[in-house]
Amino acid sequence: MDLSYSKEMNMKARNMREKNYQYVASHSSGTDLDSKYEKLAKIGQGTFGEVFKARARSQGKSFVALKRILTDKETEGFPITALREIKILQQLEHENVVKLLEVCGTRPSATNKYRAECFLVLEYCEHDLAGLLAHPNVRFSLGNIKMVMKQLLNALFYIQCKNVLHRDMKPSNVLITKTGTLKLADFGISRMFTPPQAGRVNRLTNGVTTLWYRPPELLLGERNYGPSVDMWGAGCIMAEMWIPTPIMQGSTEQEQLALISQLCGSITPDAWPGVRTLPLYSKLELPKHHKRTLQQRVQRHIKNQEALDLLDQILQLDPSRRCDAGTALNHNFFWTDPMPCDLASMLAMHRTSMFEYFHRKRGKEVGQMQQVAAER
Amino acid sequence: MPYWYYDKKDLQNTPSFRDAITTETENRYRKEGARFIIDTGSKMDLGYNTVATGVVYFHRFYMFHSFRTFPRYITACCCLFLAGKVEETPKKCKDIIKVAKSLLTEQKFASFGEDPKEEVMTLERILLQTIKFDLQVEHPYGYLLKYAKCLKGDKAKLQKMVQMAWTFVNDSLCTTLCLQWEPEVIAVALMFLAGKLSKFEVLDWNGRNPKHNAWWDMFVEDITMELLEDICHQVLDLYSPQPQSSGGDSPPAPSPAKQPKNEKKPPSITPPTSASPVAVVVSKPILTPMKNGADIKVDPPKMEPIRYTYPAYPGMPAGYPAVYTAPPPSIPPPPRLPLTGPPPPSLVYAEPPPAPPPRFPPVNVPPPNYFPPLPGRGPPPPGPPPRPYYPPP
Repeated sequence: MDLSYSKEMNMKARNMREKNYQYVASHSSGTDLDSKYEKLAKIGQGTFGEVFKARARSQGKSFVALKRILTDKETEGFPITALREIKILQQLEHENVVKLLEVCGTRPSATNKYRAECFLVLEYCEHDLAGLLAHPNVRFSLGNIKMVMKQLLNALFYIQCKNVLHRDMKPSNVLITKTGTLKLADFGISRMFTPPQAGRVNRLTNGVTTLWYRPPELLLGERNYGPSVDMWGAGCIMAEMWIPTPIMQGSTEQEQLALISQLCGSITPDAWPGVRTLPLYSKLELPKHHKRTLQQRVQRHIKNQEALDLLDQILQLDPSRRCDAGTALNHNFFWTDPMPCDLASMLAMHRTSMFEYFHRKRGKEVGQMQQVAAER
Repeated sequence: MPYWYYDKKDLQNTPSFRDAITTETENRYRKEGARFIIDTGSKMDLGYNTVATGVVYFHRFYMFHSFRTFPRYITACCCLFLAGKVEETPKKCKDIIKVAKSLLTEQKFASFGEDPKEEVMTLERILLQTIKFDLQVEHPYGYLLKYAKCLKGDKAKLQKMVQMAWTFVNDSLCTTLCLQWEPEVIAVALMFLAGKLSKFEVLDWNGRNPKHNAWWDMFVEDITMELLEDICHQVLDLYSPQPQSSGGDSPPAPSPAKQPKNEKKPPSITPPTSASPVAVVVSKPILTPMKNGADIKVDPPKMEPIRYTYPAYPGMPAGYPAVYTAPPPSIPPPPRLPLTGPPPPSLVYAEPPPAPPPRFPPVNVPPPNYFPPLPGRGPPPPGPPPRPYYPPP
């Protein structure tokens, strides 16, 4: 084909496309983010982008959380991680999992190259667990703790039935509404997995989960992992409910493994049959001769015997021996007095004047761990 | 979640139709777009799920946009690109474009513009908004296998039947069936068709109960014979030669020489402009939807491809390769149906009739979107013509 001819054609085609995009843009008015929601405040910031508190302009003026999908750096279009998160959230429908209301874009225009910014519109929760735990005046009773753990395990049990791995368990991803309902959130690095079958090996990435909540098998390079990775995180969170700081705060993977060994005993083939097959087992220098000290270490904070027993079953080095969500929910911890009790009344005490105080404190002392949505 | 099923009336009154593209032409564009996704996907070793998801996005997209506004091949690439990511089989955009380029004529590829990758990226946002971020799509494949597990009978015959049904499901992607019926229903219908054609009669099945008249009653309620036949015919129609489709190879505005006979075009378009597939948008379409609609009514012969019936097994095996042959797990390669032997009664008829005989399978009420078979078009050509989706390399 003649070059100048095809160049001219390209120009024309481009002008046409520009018109088409404008056309599409003009037809999307009223469905774009800014005409549907009013942003109120930024309530979160992470590697994933920003989270805003917003109010719907129509119907009930209800609050929502808007999570921006970062697309600037993407070379392969709409990020696959965001697609995963959307797909997973759409499939999950459970009281203890945050609900995706819709995906909403800003209005496309020439200034954003006709690529609208996209936001996940999520149901709004007033608190997150990190914020509540860091608040000096928030006290969880044993019944409250049971309620938090029960709901958290319910959420894990549910997502595991749906073959979803959360892969980013940590208190800041555990939201709690003012009425005391827990919602597991941030499925930004979650994945669907195929349940283990004979002869089938999953190859998942192991660089997931915040270091402090990352289970030993991931630290040792396992790529064929399953729901037990989330249970480890749930165990760490459980301990934190009493302590109330993260129990193992390593700054490198090596250090994190050392901390795990000090708490749960040395990582050896005796304690963990099959650990030899993990890619990094022979490559790393692992601390030897540590005894399991979990019970002694937490006893000062956790007096309840059932709680100690459940924690011991969850924080197992060997993922195959780690207690699963269903078993944990059947543990006596949840079925002995004091029974799990509603969080609403406890939270109600802190709703009036406490939040402002908390809000001020947060910036000074606690730092990045929290993304608490404070009341205005 | 949005509802993605339409009745026949909605499928007529599409954005393309309102943009003066006839239903027949639109269906051809859909078919070509779908085949292009299938071919591109197969060439890149993408699985059947990814390919099918891409095709479903494609069909849904054009329920909201016109083929004149968005040329089909770039949309098709974009659908496949997105489906790759959604189904966890991502392919690089530039690789998809490379394969697309190898499959398309220079003229068709011109619709990708100067910077094809950028075009696909922008289009991806429009696609996502159009399909309302409803990413997860179910396909009939899984249901086929599930249903097959329950049927009793000769193992070999059953496998052959499933393989044939699988091929029909592949081919059904070229129709708008995914906009009409849930994957379960399509699976039942095409398994029913494969059963008839491979002469596998389902006499018994696991989980049978006295209330069941047929095996599918166990899985989907209230499927009528009319519905099954309608679905089967929509797929079988793919195998009847369609005289007009072979000529016009091009998007909204092909060069006049190649223009399909009954495709009305704004006459003002001059060749260089019309070579740009999006050019037509500017010129005001001559036909109003009303007129266009009327056109269809008064002019049935143009809408009606020469209709001979599905020749002995549909002509599909002979020189008519199955559209997409990725076999289901553990199912042997596609069967060749015996072309000899007494034809099963009422399934096939041997010679094109002077007067229209009942079509396969006996249809009491012709499906609403069909015109009656045309008498007197003469004998059909020996075999269906090669499908002209792509020009020879």
